[in-house]
Amino acid sequence: MMNDMSKIEQGIAVDAVKIQARGVQVFYGEKQAIKDVSVEILDKTVTAFIGPSGCGKSTFLRCLNRMNDTIDICRVNGDIRLDGEDIYDPAIDPVQLRAKVGMVFQKPNPFPKSIYDNVAYGPRIHGLARSKADLDEIVERSLRRGAIWDEVKDRLHEPGTGLSGGQQQRLCIARAVATEPEVLLMDEPCSALDPIATAQVEELIDELRLNYSVVIVTHSMQQAARVSQKTAFFHLGNLVEYGDTGQIFTNPEDPRTESYITGRIG
Amino acid sequence: MTDQAMKEKHIVRSFDTELEAVQAHLMRMGGLVETGLSDAITALRERDVHLAERTVKADRTIDELEELVKTEAANIIARRAPTAVDLRVVLATFTIANQLERSGDHAKNIAKRSITIAQSASLDEVTAAIAHQAKMVQSMLAGALDAFMKRDPDAAQSIRERDAEVDATYNTVFRTLLTHMMEDPANITPGMHLHFVAKNLERIGDHATGIAEQTIYLVSGELPDDDRPRRDQTPTETTEAR
Repeated sequence: MMNDMSKIEQGIAVDAVKIQARGVQVFYGEKQAIKDVSVEILDKTVTAFIGPSGCGKSTFLRCLNRMNDTIDICRVNGDIRLDGEDIYDPAIDPVQLRAKVGMVFQKPNPFPKSIYDNVAYGPRIHGLARSKADLDEIVERSLRRGAIWDEVKDRLHEPGTGLSGGQQQRLCIARAVATEPEVLLMDEPCSALDPIATAQVEELIDELRLNYSVVIVTHSMQQAARVSQKTAFFHLGNLVEYGDTGQIFTNPEDPRTESYITGRIG
Repeated sequence: MTDQAMKEKHIVRSFDTELEAVQAHLMRMGGLVETGLSDAITALRERDVHLAERTVKADRTIDELEELVKTEAANIIARRAPTAVDLRVVLATFTIANQLERSGDHAKNIAKRSITIAQSASLDEVTAAIAHQAKMVQSMLAGALDAFMKRDPDAAQSIRERDAEVDATYNTVFRTLLTHMMEDPANITPGMHLHFVAKNLERIGDHATGIAEQTIYLVSGELPDDDRPRRDQTPTETTEAR
């Protein structure tokens, strides 16, 4: 009842599945990093992946846009579907997939280019702009979505690396949304930011949710509680518990979840 | 909710210390309320005005402890951001502190009235029924606090069920008092005060039930939602049928 109400308040389209993962196993050589994970990631929802270091949450996140393809010894079994389409199908171009499933990393990593070119890079290589005016518009729209337009509009041609850490991270988010992705993966996007910049990014995540499915890996339990509607707890390569964030943080079902989120040894 | 998580210690040990401290203060509060109630009833039965006055004064300590528990609980929320079972412990502690403070006020009110009652005609039959009601309420209160500390939802549930008996005794006292007051107007002063004593006890029974419900919430994450049978029939009671 309460959950239904909060969904209505937040204007969430209830239960539209964006990504469906079934029986996912990941190996790094001989070592199995993900045991057997099945989960449905909802559209227009922020899903938080939490768990201790080495639990597999980042590994699983990186399966969702095939970032693990870049690691030679990594092998992924199972089935991951984006809007019903198998993303590991040989016919799928990982570059195209990553335009649809964007990613933001722990450390802001702007290209050593101008602010403008950082954002324009993706649309250019994917041929999303027909003209200079078109590209200008995409850059402005993306920087606005990244909630950084007002701060950079007068210095678009200065290097992105000259911005503060929080600004760089919002620039990277703007860069990620420039290719009109449908899903945004964020791997600890605030761990290098101060509390103000963190709050700005969290506010941005809340806005992005209106248009995207957002999946965020975070070590900050409070951040997971603040920004997400769904939380998945990973432990030793297993998805231990997945549910509404409110329920996970007030009344988790699994003792391992309880031990972890309350800061007990578990 | 799991026994495992409750027995495990936090990695940050001072968090455990703070949770233990706030609950220890809550239990001290509970002990003082039990003593206050017991003293108030003794003062009533034995017409002991001095004991009644001491009991009224003792309520101040209960109020101070409530402030302390609530401040500590607020600090834990602000500084530790408790989750899951820890959050429920803090919320339950906060709520129980409130219920104990109210119970303390009811005991104080009984003590105050016992001073007036001591100067009026005695209604031994009613006083005995009230003493019986008090015994039930005392045992409920002690049981509810015990169930909370032991995290025992079954014991808490049985406390909830006993509240109906307290309500039933209250109904009996109410009717008996009406009869006495109709018989002899001299009974009206002690009768009115004794009625409030019975009502105070009935309210403490409700608070004990509330404390028991917090234990169920603490363990299961959910408050019991089934309605307990309401046995208080006095809202529709008249003297007509007598």
